[in-house]
Amino acid sequence: MIRCDVCERRCPLGPDTTGYCRMYHAPRGQVEERFPDRWCAYATARMETIPFYHAWPGARCLVVGTTGCNFDCRYCANAEVVKVDPAGQQDVMLDVSPEDLVAVARKRGCRAIVFSVNEPTVSLPTLERVAAVAKTAGLVMGCLTNGYATPEGTARLGAIFDCVNVSLKGLSPQFCRNYLGVPDVGPILRNIQALARTTHVEVTTPVIEGVNSHELGEMVDFLAGVGPDVAWHAFRLLPEYKMRQEDYPSVAAVGAQVEAAARGKLNYVYFHNFIGSRWVNTLCPGCGEAVIERHSLGCGGDRLQAVHLDGTACPRCGAAVALRGDPDPATAKEACS
Amino acid sequence: MSLAILDAREWQQTVDLRTGQPREASGPLADMVAGLVGRRPYPGDRDATCNDWVADVALEMVERYDPRFAFLSFSEQYYSLRHSPLTEAEEQARIDGAFAAVERFARESGFTVVVVGTGELVPAAVPVDLEGLDGLVVSSNWCAHYAGLYDASAADLEKLANHPAIAQVAAKADILTLFGGTAADGERLPEHMVAVKEGHYLKGTSLRRLYKIPQPSPVIPVSNNLGPVACLTDIRPALLNLLRTDKVALALVEGVGCRQFPLPYHTCANGRGWFAYEPGDGQFLAISKGRHSIFEHNGGYRYYQDDTDDKAYPYSGFFSEMPTGTIGEAIAARSIAVGNRSMFMHMLTGCDIACECFARNLYNQGVMAVIHRQDKYAGK
Ligand code: SF4
Repeated sequence: MIRCDVCERRCPLGPDTTGYCRMYHAPRGQVEERFPDRWCAYATARMETIPFYHAWPGARCLVVGTTGCNFDCRYCANAEVVKVDPAGQQDVMLDVSPEDLVAVARKRGCRAIVFSVNEPTVSLPTLERVAAVAKTAGLVMGCLTNGYATPEGTARLGAIFDCVNVSLKGLSPQFCRNYLGVPDVGPILRNIQALARTTHVEVTTPVIEGVNSHELGEMVDFLAGVGPDVAWHAFRLLPEYKMRQEDYPSVAAVGAQVEAAARGKLNYVYFHNFIGSRWVNTLCPGCGEAVIERHSLGCGGDRLQAVHLDGTACPRCGAAVALRGDPDPATAKEACS
Repeated sequence: MSLAILDAREWQQTVDLRTGQPREASGPLADMVAGLVGRRPYPGDRDATCNDWVADVALEMVERYDPRFAFLSFSEQYYSLRHSPLTEAEEQARIDGAFAAVERFARESGFTVVVVGTGELVPAAVPVDLEGLDGLVVSSNWCAHYAGLYDASAADLEKLANHPAIAQVAAKADILTLFGGTAADGERLPEHMVAVKEGHYLKGTSLRRLYKIPQPSPVIPVSNNLGPVACLTDIRPALLNLLRTDKVALALVEGVGCRQFPLPYHTCANGRGWFAYEPGDGQFLAISKGRHSIFEHNGGYRYYQDDTDDKAYPYSGFFSEMPTGTIGEAIAARSIAVGNRSMFMHMLTGCDIACECFARNLYNQGVMAVIHRQDKYAGK
């Protein structure tokens, strides 16, 4: 029996013993993926839908996912893929090699491959192989993660991904236990800092009124310590999975809490995950001018509307706007057209 | 200007439908519609009360707007059968629920309700993955039966010809011939269209396991109060005829074919030749316009190419222009559309007011109401 060193659960693994995520085992004394190169879906989208607001704005990306997770979030939006036994999902999974996946992305004119359905740490070796091919093809790699990897796992994520959106869901041990199924937030805070040193980081916080909303100020203080340019996406929680019967949080109340918490501390604050949000534009940190405009369609549907920048500077006051990657939305042409 | 009222529960934003830019909603009709959608939050695509939501919203609109025509879709059973592991009894209960909602609307509104079943769902077999081809394959979450194929190699076409799950590979020229189109009509057609055999589906963008899928039916049932119609494109003229004497509602009950249709019915063709419509946008549009829509909407078009930052109608899914020649446009009297098929009722029906769920891949974002015409409202 060995210990998995990918995430902080550090599960015991053996030939017939899988970990919490059920995605790894150790048939030969090493951590091995049970289902390499198996994908639940792929779709063409834009970076804003992930959401990435400050990385390659408007770029078309191939969104991919596998199955399994190392968390047990009460509000998981993808529980039908993520919470089921991965072994029972294999009949409907796609078997696609890294080379073929990159070819699909190129054929569709994508500039990036973004892993966003479930947790990338549970499929790390597969993603490392995809990244190796993608980098050769000049594609950007991005992901959403819960940030619960070990320091070694985090270093591997940082080496693969050009942009990472980390979910900072709550701070208190009680919240972590009751809503995420992990003991504490310490590894996530550590990993946000570590990732921000090596790659582009944005942070997302689903806000549950009365549950983690009182922690928003503390989260903002932490993020401001990482850097005031870290883009923070406060999400209106969509009550799914075990929270399906709960009320939808009040947009007005949560919006006010987010604004109060972040005022003067972070340069880029967004509040979305619902249709028609007015909090999705990038405002110049110097003069407040709307320099990037977006539409909010809720749940993975945000879209770029207009970019008003001189390079990466505000056209009105000249202040720099933090962006990774070219903001030109005229992305790569389809490779086969 | 068409206004869209976006309702995310206790929070609304009104935008210009074409640009997505915020607009002040003002006037008695906008106030009436905003109040209505605010009072009636969408329960969710697979919620047992989802079809009742359609009936309730439509009935309140009938009371307040007094339309002569209503275009309704009842789709809860379609989502549930597709994505939930239901027993036969549970499936039947869902279908019964849809017809009960239709019947309640008919009873309480006094409208003559013409009911159309959009085609049966069949058990989903193993998914077909065509991404290994040299060419580009495009299918979508809600169109799993047909795919567009671009830049196919000779090896691709041979592979498809011998593929056990592939029923048909039609070249663009064949589709144009089948539907009587000119070369100019083929702009949005794929170079080839691939159709899978019954029960198979094209895997790609659907995250969730599919339990049942639409088997595009050669014929679909139409309640016999409309009289016989040969093809789904004949439903529109028959409805316009009926509207001379009656207040009429068209109720599309999704995922239901002849076998489960509980009302007396006639069958009508659901396509032409080898092509039959999957339930969804193309089929709705063909019914609304009274002519085949394959040149404008088909599962194989590369919609993502249109998804640029200057795309018009950002809240209208993949539509980048307003369809013309819809049934709502042809009716001078007041008309409404209500449905739980999200984000396209307002485009496909052309009715004065459309109220529809705003759900994305079954995630419930709220309700969108679109007001195309403000000039017919008498105030109520
Ligand atoms: S990735 Fe985490 S949950 Fe999965 S086996 Fe390793 S330690 Fe356990």
